[in-house]
Amino acid sequence: MWRVIQSVLAAFFGVQKESRRTEDFTHGRGFVFIVVGLVMAALLVGLLVLVASLAAE
Amino acid sequence: MASHLPTGSSASQQQSGAAEMTSDTHHSGPTGLMRWLLTTNHKEIGTLYLLFSLAMFFIGGLFAMVVRAELFQPGLQLVQPEFFNQMTTMHGLIMVFGAVMPAFVGLANWMVPLQIGAPDMALPRLNNFSFWLLPVAFTMLLATLVMPGGAPNFGWTFYAPLSTTYAPPSTTFFIFSLHLAGISSILGAINIIATILNLRAPGMRMMDMPLFVWTWLITAFLLIAVMPVLAGVITMMLLDIHFGTSFFNAAGGGDPVLFQHLFWFFGHPEVYIMILPAFGIVSVIIPTFARKRLFGYASMVYATASIAILSFLVWAHHMFVVGLPLTAELFFMYSTMLISVPTGVKVFNWITTLFRGSLTFEPPMLFALAFVVLFTIGGFSGLMLAISPADFQYHDTYFVVAHFHYVLVPGAVFAIMAAVYYWLPKWTGHYPHLRLSQWHFWLSVVGVNLTFFPMHFAGLAGMPRRIPDYSLQFADFNMITSIGGFLFGLSQLLFVLVVVLCVRGGRKAPAQAWEGAEDLEWTVPSPAPLHTFETPPDFTPYRH
Amino acid sequence: MRLVWTVGLVSAGLSSKVLANQWNMPVGVTDVSREIHSLHMIIFWICVAIGVVVFGALFYSLFRYRRSRGARASNFHEHTTLEIVWTVVPLLILVAMAIPATATLKKMYDTSEADLDVMITGQQWRWRYSYLGEEVAFTSNLATPRSQVEGKSAKSENYLLEVDEPLVLPVGQKVRLLMTSDDVIHSWWVPDLAVKQDAVPGFVNENWVRINEPGIYRGQCAELCGKDHAFMPVVVKAVEPPEFESWLAQRKEAAAQAALGVDREWALEELMTRGEQVYATICASCHMPDGQGSPPAFPALAGNQTMLDDADYHIETVINGVSGSAMPAFRSTLNAVELAAVITYERNAWGNDTGEAIQPARIAELIDSP
Repeated sequence: MWRVIQSVLAAFFGVQKESRRTEDFTHGRGFVFIVVGLVMAALLVGLLVLVASLAAE
Repeated sequence: MASHLPTGSSASQQQSGAAEMTSDTHHSGPTGLMRWLLTTNHKEIGTLYLLFSLAMFFIGGLFAMVVRAELFQPGLQLVQPEFFNQMTTMHGLIMVFGAVMPAFVGLANWMVPLQIGAPDMALPRLNNFSFWLLPVAFTMLLATLVMPGGAPNFGWTFYAPLSTTYAPPSTTFFIFSLHLAGISSILGAINIIATILNLRAPGMRMMDMPLFVWTWLITAFLLIAVMPVLAGVITMMLLDIHFGTSFFNAAGGGDPVLFQHLFWFFGHPEVYIMILPAFGIVSVIIPTFARKRLFGYASMVYATASIAILSFLVWAHHMFVVGLPLTAELFFMYSTMLISVPTGVKVFNWITTLFRGSLTFEPPMLFALAFVVLFTIGGFSGLMLAISPADFQYHDTYFVVAHFHYVLVPGAVFAIMAAVYYWLPKWTGHYPHLRLSQWHFWLSVVGVNLTFFPMHFAGLAGMPRRIPDYSLQFADFNMITSIGGFLFGLSQLLFVLVVVLCVRGGRKAPAQAWEGAEDLEWTVPSPAPLHTFETPPDFTPYRH
Repeated sequence: MRLVWTVGLVSAGLSSKVLANQWNMPVGVTDVSREIHSLHMIIFWICVAIGVVVFGALFYSLFRYRRSRGARASNFHEHTTLEIVWTVVPLLILVAMAIPATATLKKMYDTSEADLDVMITGQQWRWRYSYLGEEVAFTSNLATPRSQVEGKSAKSENYLLEVDEPLVLPVGQKVRLLMTSDDVIHSWWVPDLAVKQDAVPGFVNENWVRINEPGIYRGQCAELCGKDHAFMPVVVKAVEPPEFESWLAQRKEAAAQAALGVDREWALEELMTRGEQVYATICASCHMPDGQGSPPAFPALAGNQTMLDDADYHIETVINGVSGSAMPAFRSTLNAVELAAVITYERNAWGNDTGEAIQPARIAELIDSP
């Protein structure tokens, strides 16, 4: 699971190693990546909202 | 679905399908006009899309020329403000929905099957339908110009209530034509997704696909996600205008700002719909003429996906002065700044691809390089616009006009031209005329910068957008911009000349028209025969 | 790089009469406008610096690795560390940029403790200013004559940026600006004050300004609001507080005088003269100076039989507008005298010779009882 999160984080960041990428695409399951991706997107929104409301204080 | 069918029947279906296809090549189908009306061939439909887009590019361009002619000097000389507003509105609508989007769909139609080794699009009849919706939609939109009260005059962003309570009667036709164009886009996107996911050559994995295919796959998902939002918002307008609802009418308890939220929730991803395929094109062309593999292929794909996701989180940066709460203002400022990071990654990757390559400068490469430079300038002004406090000064001025034209003209339009020059040998079997193409390139580059660079200054000095007349301090900038605009407009006639000459003759191109080109489309003869990859090609994944 | 290069070339090419603030964002005359200007310059120089590096690398590669000079392609295509570096560095620059931007934005949003409240109402195509609690209100219309727009006379220095009555504000005081609109969305913008805020119908937006220097500051509507969007300028006249107080007192006095005029009987000629002025500033942009209108959106008034037959309908239309059309309600924009005058004018000009004089008292009764 941690590997999946790492890979999704790499996708958000926009940088990934070729070897790691190959591994994800041969062994990983697409569905898991999509679900984790959506959850992380929601977390990103939450984080931004948090930062914005703290800054607005 | 297929798994529920008895295996025998699906196999026989496939056989009959194959039989149909071979019989198609022997006995010729309808000829003349009917051939084009009824065609289900991806290459012919691609050609139709591209020709349609070219026609719209000139019509939209003509409207821009009217705008620039009126703005050549202060004062009202040629047109009245009512008509001026119709021109700016129609220019925007035609260029976005009629020129840029269909051009990319046309390129996808031609090249996605060829690049993934598929015999055609997955849904050929749907493909025909989605194209033919467009001429209907845009004939209707253009017809509003001769209707009583004139064409839509509320800007391509059609903010309510100017576009509802205060709109001309032709707005209803505008709504209908936008619905049709939206349906066309959604169907086209479904087709592209189905093709990419199902019809890749055996052995081609997702991460072996050329970047043009990748970026289009992501774009297609964006289209499916946001076109329904546009459809929803124009339907709400229709209800407000004709059925007594008050979605956007404060007097009835509605909210004009709601319109803007909905519009830009569609509109921002729409901006990326117009630029992601351009990224794909440039990522295919630069490695070809650098004779070197694309640097950071995986990162390019990831950055595209990242941009696509972030594009849903930034819409309100178009609305910084509409009176958002402070927290919202900060949220959208931060998220907008974030989106510039993956975009920067792409530019760095292109430059590193050039680094230590072996470069030649054929016309497609010239346009691709101009894209990198000028799109980056558009990116810089985008970064400036993201700074919310400063946006209170930039918003709705010519600075914004300069920004999005830098992203869309030397951005999206140059990428489309690069693609046309790149694939013309494959489409026609001839190379485009070299000297004329170079003239076209240099005149376009000079014209585009002369047109749009002074707009930065006009905007910073305080000139609002969408005005038919302006105060004297903006006169010099506007005159330069108008001259540049006429130059750019005229030099596009050269483009038509190059394309026509290339169709009719020219230096013969071999199957692999460019030395460094390596994708599957270069394994079929030039010009590509009507049917290609009827048996799947041998694909050896090396490259990325 | 191109940016600096172009700026440098162009400014070197032109004479020194081109002032910096005609090319660039004005520094302005408020603390906020100064801060915004400095944010603008910081982000501009950051972009220039990135541009120098990026375009430098690009053009170096273009010249150094041309095949015509015998360059051979090498075959590297990945370098994760490098990629992480060029992702993290821009991210850090952006975080550094976000901090001052956030601070400025918070100041801009702090509308508390204002010394004076001014309500700004956008109308197609003029601004209405109302000093809350002071009973002073007026509309501010474009003062540039039509002949200049049409090129029939020479354009004046402040072409399209001049109004009949500017918004007068005291310097050194915090003025809260409340913005709304009667019809479509407008946007009130004065670059020197760094205030741009949408005026949205049915909603009230807040902004504020504290002007540091007396002077006249010009701007215009920034949001497309229909055909005369280009013709609704904003002019702010900033004066010292004592001067402002005496101006305000004078305006109150004038308002009281105008109220007196309501009760007396006005002669037809008197109303016609007044009405002609009102018509020219308020009505002529849609219904045209000759009363011919531009159908279908703006009906003709000259020879309009429905209007001429029924004075009550005419009055009702002008006072309350026509909902669902571009005709606004003028009950709060114009006072009883102005309304009576303009209605009288419309019923007697351009061959509409009804001979009727609509008295201000009749109108006052209608607008006082909604």
